[in-house]
Amino acid sequence: MNQADAERVQAVMAKMGYEATEKEEDANVIGIIACSVRQKAIDKVYSKIAKWNKWKNKRNLITFVSGCILPDDHEKFLKLFDLVFDMKELATFPAMLSQYGVTTPVSNFGRINDDELIKAATPASTAEKLGFSGLKPASKVAAAPQTWEVEPVYNSSFEAFIPIQNGCNKFCTFCAVPYTRGREVSRPSADIIEETRNLIEKGYKSITLLGQNVNSYGLDKKGEELSFAQLLDELGRMADDSGNEVWIYFTSPHPRDMSRDVIEAIARHHSLGKQIHLPVQSGDDKVLIRMNRKHSMERYREVVGWIHELIPSATLFTDIIVGFTGETEEQFENTRAAVREFKYNMAYIAMYSPRPGAAAYAWQDDVPHAEKKRRYAILTSDLEAVAIEHTQKLEGETVRVLVRGKDRKDDFLSGHTEGKITVRFASDDDSLIGSFVDVKIESVRPFSAEGQLVKAEVEI
Amino acid sequence: MQKRSFNLHKITDKRDLTDSTFVLRMERNGLEFLPGQHIQVGPPNGIHTREYSIYNAPSDDYLEILVREVENGLVTPALKKLVAGDSVVINDAVGYFTIEEAVKQKKTFLFVASGTGISPFHSFVKSYPGLDYRLIHGIKFAEEAYEKEAYKPSRYAACTSQDEGGDFHGRVTGWLEQNPVNSDTLCYLCGNCDMIYDVYDILEKQGVKSSDIFTEVYF
Repeated sequence: MNQADAERVQAVMAKMGYEATEKEEDANVIGIIACSVRQKAIDKVYSKIAKWNKWKNKRNLITFVSGCILPDDHEKFLKLFDLVFDMKELATFPAMLSQYGVTTPVSNFGRINDDELIKAATPASTAEKLGFSGLKPASKVAAAPQTWEVEPVYNSSFEAFIPIQNGCNKFCTFCAVPYTRGREVSRPSADIIEETRNLIEKGYKSITLLGQNVNSYGLDKKGEELSFAQLLDELGRMADDSGNEVWIYFTSPHPRDMSRDVIEAIARHHSLGKQIHLPVQSGDDKVLIRMNRKHSMERYREVVGWIHELIPSATLFTDIIVGFTGETEEQFENTRAAVREFKYNMAYIAMYSPRPGAAAYAWQDDVPHAEKKRRYAILTSDLEAVAIEHTQKLEGETVRVLVRGKDRKDDFLSGHTEGKITVRFASDDDSLIGSFVDVKIESVRPFSAEGQLVKAEVEI
Repeated sequence: MQKRSFNLHKITDKRDLTDSTFVLRMERNGLEFLPGQHIQVGPPNGIHTREYSIYNAPSDDYLEILVREVENGLVTPALKKLVAGDSVVINDAVGYFTIEEAVKQKKTFLFVASGTGISPFHSFVKSYPGLDYRLIHGIKFAEEAYEKEAYKPSRYAACTSQDEGGDFHGRVTGWLEQNPVNSDTLCYLCGNCDMIYDVYDILEKQGVKSSDIFTEVYF
């Protein structure tokens, strides 16, 4: 999601005449699209801004921060950054930049969409302190466009991310997203279809639909937009008919909103990538209750059953938190059992860390760090054991690979299969990056494979 | 459809139920909700909000929430100081702790609450007059049986753990062990997580399927 947001910020700045630079030392304007999911990421923001503020003693530099920001951090960032804004205010970013040094009341209270409230919520003393007393607040805060209304600059010529939904209504107790991104809002279906069509026509090979709860897409519109399954069906049909080879993915879905017709749509269209990321978080019903996940293992099992029934070739990825508040050894064992049962191809395992702003932050973080590390190591080992069963089946097979870049191994390129299994092969032909190739697999690891290039895509 | 964000709602009434617990009544301002859903509420000049299950029924032209003041809390002490005429910020109602239309008249319901976790059940009972339910309310003292006159005495049991003024002296778990439920009962649990865990275990032992147990953890 942050990548899609960053591409849109970049687009706005490009239209203002700014040029992107890879070196932060060269930048005149420098900013961060923050992520509040992990404390570590926010700690990095504080570290960066401390460094940049020192640079300001020697040169002109404007700093900004946006993205996923908790109220407490927002307050602190106001003192550290020149500009702090909600992604919903991106369209007003040029005005903010041109009025650099003057933070608007909209920026400070962007979560509120009532002019009267802006006045009520902005004491005169605060206004004075922030230096906007002579500046009128934007009159149409409620009409501030969503990020997706800004045309992005894509950073890749073959992979793109399309935001289709923003916000979250689930209130998982370990997560602060509902407090930073707000309620679920769906992007108009026609816009998504149009952006996807353009990307396909330009020859993009991998397109990922993004949202905090991507499969709750359309629920807030109550029938005024397509459902997520209908949207996938439409995009799948369009991509299939285009004659271009493209894999369309989505992330992240929530098991509660994952319906059978979504899986049926993926099965129906060859252009819809046969890889499903279905976060389980824990394999224990009681931990799921404490996490306020709003799905049980029975429900999760039902969804995985549909996937196995309708798309036997699909790879299954997940997210798991170990050492969540109150997690007992028995409950952890249930998560281990879930990994064995669902035989994931990949799991993003995290040791629980309390996130300020999330509901669980108020609870005692009672699983010691050493125990979390132990559980993390055990679960990683379990995952490797089940994942390699999948990759071993690839040995000797020729698989289709989208080449994404140079591999860490010298003179190797790497990419991924349709199921997002990493594949590397010997080649120094950089022109293959961004194209599909066939690779014969010769050796495998739990989450990756290595092979020989068989055939590269022929450009006509 | 215009998506709402946070909006001001004027407080029209405040009922003190105990020294620390009160009901805030606010203007509805067109906010739509289903019984059992929750809203984020906060004082107008603060940066913090908290989730509250809506206490009243959708047919009312106002919104109510049941609030217990948390000592040194960031939101509840500020809410407690507000009076009629002041405003709060509220955003859209969300949540999945709801009763499906299809089962409302066909099933027997068990509602188990601890403390202010009774709020969504108050909304259910006010919204669905024909509901066949039993409400078990875990509280410390009888005075915390918030507005119990809203429920028929035969359907409500206050389980008081620290005095004998309730309908049952002890925890809700004790009541359930003495009054087992039929295995086809739809069970809704709302309140602190420890209570929910304990009741969940008892209900499973009594033959209730996990898919028939719905939970809303208060934090």
